[in-house]
Amino acid sequence: MTTPTRPSLDDPSLTIPLEHAGIFEPIPLARTERQREFYDLRDGEMLLNMGPQHPSTHGVLRVVLKISGEQVVDLDPVLGYLHRGVEKIAENSDFHQIISHLDPLEYVASLFCEWSPVMSFEKLLDIQVPRRAEYIRVLTGELNRIASHMLFIGWYALDLGGITPILWSFAERDEIVEMLAAITGAKLLFNYFRIGGVNGDLNHDFMSRLGDWMSRAGAQLEAGMGLLNENEIFVRRARGLGILDRETALRMCATGPNLRASGVPFDIRRAHPYSVYPELEFEIPTRREGDSLARYLLRMDEVRQSLRIIDQCLHQMPDGPVMARLPRLLRPRPGRAYSAVEGPRGQYSCYAMSDGTDQPFRLRIHDPSFLHLQLVGLLMPGNLIADTMAIMASLDPVMGGVDK
Amino acid sequence: MDRAFRALIERTFGDVLTGPVRQRHDETEMRIRPGDVPQVMRTLHDDPRLRFEYLGDLAGVDTGTDFQVVYHLWSVVTPDWLRVVADGIPRDQPRIPSITFLWKGAEWMEREAYDMFGLVFEGNRDLRRIYLPDDFVSFPLRKDFHLPDDASRSPGGGVRPMEDAPTPADAAATTVRRTATAR
Repeated sequence: MTTPTRPSLDDPSLTIPLEHAGIFEPIPLARTERQREFYDLRDGEMLLNMGPQHPSTHGVLRVVLKISGEQVVDLDPVLGYLHRGVEKIAENSDFHQIISHLDPLEYVASLFCEWSPVMSFEKLLDIQVPRRAEYIRVLTGELNRIASHMLFIGWYALDLGGITPILWSFAERDEIVEMLAAITGAKLLFNYFRIGGVNGDLNHDFMSRLGDWMSRAGAQLEAGMGLLNENEIFVRRARGLGILDRETALRMCATGPNLRASGVPFDIRRAHPYSVYPELEFEIPTRREGDSLARYLLRMDEVRQSLRIIDQCLHQMPDGPVMARLPRLLRPRPGRAYSAVEGPRGQYSCYAMSDGTDQPFRLRIHDPSFLHLQLVGLLMPGNLIADTMAIMASLDPVMGGVDK
Repeated sequence: MDRAFRALIERTFGDVLTGPVRQRHDETEMRIRPGDVPQVMRTLHDDPRLRFEYLGDLAGVDTGTDFQVVYHLWSVVTPDWLRVVADGIPRDQPRIPSITFLWKGAEWMEREAYDMFGLVFEGNRDLRRIYLPDDFVSFPLRKDFHLPDDASRSPGGGVRPMEDAPTPADAAATTVRRTATAR
């Protein structure tokens, strides 16, 4: 009997010669200044590929890390794995059809990426949205914001090695998506907002679930947060990690919690009020540290404010129609409109151009995740490989929004 | 609509503007030549009366005849969004100065505009495709790039292969059925 010989990694028959590697070419042709700089490896540096199917990249993202030992020297995110060309599709569909194409952009908080285009179409058409519809938008939007932040907490803890928080936060998130499913009919891609209002009025199922949940949400959320906020392993890991200062945050066009965690009190709900937010009372939490822990804690503060807003919405909700009276076929006058909303990740905005037909001439969709992912390249150098995902997750990008 | 702000813009930029400052809803729009972008943005960002510290969006637009780059800015001095339209970028020379010297974050937005329209932002040190693969040859958001199932609009009135759209070097003013009346 012969003993099987173990194949050696030095066996030349096992190496693929470079000229046959094709699309797996390890070092692409440098086209730009930055690429030349990135792929110019100094002594002791090597490239490490992460993704596109890495479990903690929060979607399909590939990151090329330039490492020196255990330290990340530089990194280059490679996007486009989820690119669907929504802007082109939108130019070829009519104004009503577009809304359903927008949902999967931001699949964690899809009401917000419906909201800003719908608002800009309303501006193009000069439509006044009924007040009840505006209140319903704010109410469902804030619920969606909490659901999104809950996912963030659970996922962030998971990226730092904790299993329990995601189970806790998913209990809350599940309750909210069930609630939203009762009025929108879907748990993830709601397709609920319409040009001139919302798809359906609040129903009994939704209201009874919401009432139940609101009575215990405050205490339950605090309990869930206590699990992490006072966890020494988590806090010591996240504190001082990936510090983003005020000037850099503004220069990098960061928005939302990531900007506010660096001490800039910029929230579009207050900076450029829309919908019925001027009538509601809430604070804009800010923090000064700008590290991963601050970004995490800031989202916790936001959840508390969202609960306040939901409470006020329920008390101030007026009666009336939930849709404006509109023709079936919408043909706005030629013109341009821009609108922005504050989502759980930052500014979602939309620039719509109309040429007088029933399809937009141009629809530009701006997503905050795109710009926050760009920040990773700035925050990473000098940190350890294991911190890549910790920093990236604290910025909370969603790849559906990044890739459009 | 902030009328005082419109007067301020007209006073500050005077002859740099290529058209009237327009206002609608909560937006103020000014039009400039692409070459004036760095100077105008610098003034908007640094002037203590303007203080536009926050770049909301950067978008490329194909009007069917030429290109535009549209910036949206926010400042504490006005409740309006400011829209700066850099107008009249020719199809055969789609070049415009980059604003990454003010907002580093615009780098990826400019890469996206390059990827989708072939706009060359001079001064952007990482101008390569961002969504589409490096060997993709055409620019899909241009109006002369027709979707394969968009038979009614393609010049031949039939299906056109996706990769046939002209590259920037030989991009002449081709037939574009749907030109902008929205300009």
